[in-house]
Amino acid sequence: MSAWQRAAALARKDLLLEWRGRETITAMAVLALLVVLLLGFVIGADPARAPAITWVALALAAMLGVTRPTQAEIEQQALETLLLYPGSREHIYWGKWAAILVQLTVLLGMLLVVQGVLFNVDLWPKLPALLGVGLLGIVGLATLGTLFAGLVIHVRGRELLMPLLLLPVALPVVLAAVRLMEVVMTGGPGGLVWFGVLAAFDMLFLLVAPVLYDVVMEEA
Amino acid sequence: MPHPGGVAAEAHGLARRFDRNVALRPLSLSLPAGAVLLLVGPNGAGKTTLLRLLATSLRPTAGRAAVFGWDVVRNADAVRRVCVYVGTSHGMYEGLTAQENLAFAAAMGGKGDTARAALERVGLTGVGHHPVRTFSTGMKRRLALARAWLLEPRLLLLDDPFSALDADGMGLVDDLTAHVKSTGGSVILATHEWERGVRLADMVVGLAEGRQVATASAAEVTPPRLRALAGGRT
Repeated sequence: MSAWQRAAALARKDLLLEWRGRETITAMAVLALLVVLLLGFVIGADPARAPAITWVALALAAMLGVTRPTQAEIEQQALETLLLYPGSREHIYWGKWAAILVQLTVLLGMLLVVQGVLFNVDLWPKLPALLGVGLLGIVGLATLGTLFAGLVIHVRGRELLMPLLLLPVALPVVLAAVRLMEVVMTGGPGGLVWFGVLAAFDMLFLLVAPVLYDVVMEEA
Repeated sequence: MPHPGGVAAEAHGLARRFDRNVALRPLSLSLPAGAVLLLVGPNGAGKTTLLRLLATSLRPTAGRAAVFGWDVVRNADAVRRVCVYVGTSHGMYEGLTAQENLAFAAAMGGKGDTARAALERVGLTGVGHHPVRTFSTGMKRRLALARAWLLEPRLLLLDDPFSALDADGMGLVDDLTAHVKSTGGSVILATHEWERGVRLADMVVGLAEGRQVATASAAEVTPPRLRALAGGRT
């Protein structure tokens, strides 16, 4: 059984549990929707502001949801059993990462629909590019979120700590995703630069986070 | 390099502290492959700490331990490939069915999907498709034993395995122990059901307040001595 098969089994398990409970995705979706509605009313449903509002909503919802797959292991008293299976802890990281990635992608799909309706944006011609940008941003959020969820696993008040850790580090990803989405929607210049920034941060986090997770969970 | 075969588990001056609390004072033991070791002692004696150190769940603060020659710190992954720890919490996912839990364990343990056969061994075939949240404590305990069957350990660590089990369930612990032993593996069990445990054991180690107070062959330990060891007296 390869590490990737173990990661797939873990992701499948996490998604199956989420599908049966639908607690995390529901809470994330409601929070994201409330943020979009609130900001839409406060600063106006200007299509130019849609990317920023979408990403603020997505980042806040991610903060709420990324700890859940790891937290659920503690609540079910299954963490010790999970950590005692053979193989590198990196495959646990990738399994959790994949489950978070799927959930954030579902959320992105919902937010794009909301964006289209509330901000009167014609999404269809730009949908593949918007989904591409969205996935790049989500990869960054999931990569960092999975790492920090492991880091705060035994910390009291982790729900309070998570935004303080995740937001500053995820800022370049969110900022680049907003700018790149603006470029896609308006056809303005600078797309390549922001794509480069987003891809570079994703690569950096993807290389570093699993290794750090291995160390963090070895001490868990 | 490790030498598989001869010694299933060994410890030399193995100790563990939790901040200022000493959970296990320097302990030394050697368990031959194919033997069963019974750990006895009152609550807080250090039985669970010793099992978790051997399982690589905890790191020692002093001394060293090895499982089939693999050091529990430097070769933790190799130890995890041959060792299964069944702790006091069942470690199952309440939202999954019994069969899904075992299929997940098989995937993570790198074993073929023998979930159905494992369920049959512990008498849970009829409820294999029921969510674990609907199970009684004893049924969850049986499921944890099924997971151990499925993972085919060479060293099985059982922490309080008889708790919450009915007579048939306790028999399953006996069967699992005999099965591991018959395949050349070893079992370490910590239990307060010492009268039952000693019937399975080849060796007995008594612990009290983290100290190793006795190491003896199971055949040599008389019931009064065993009762004294279980109470933390030498």
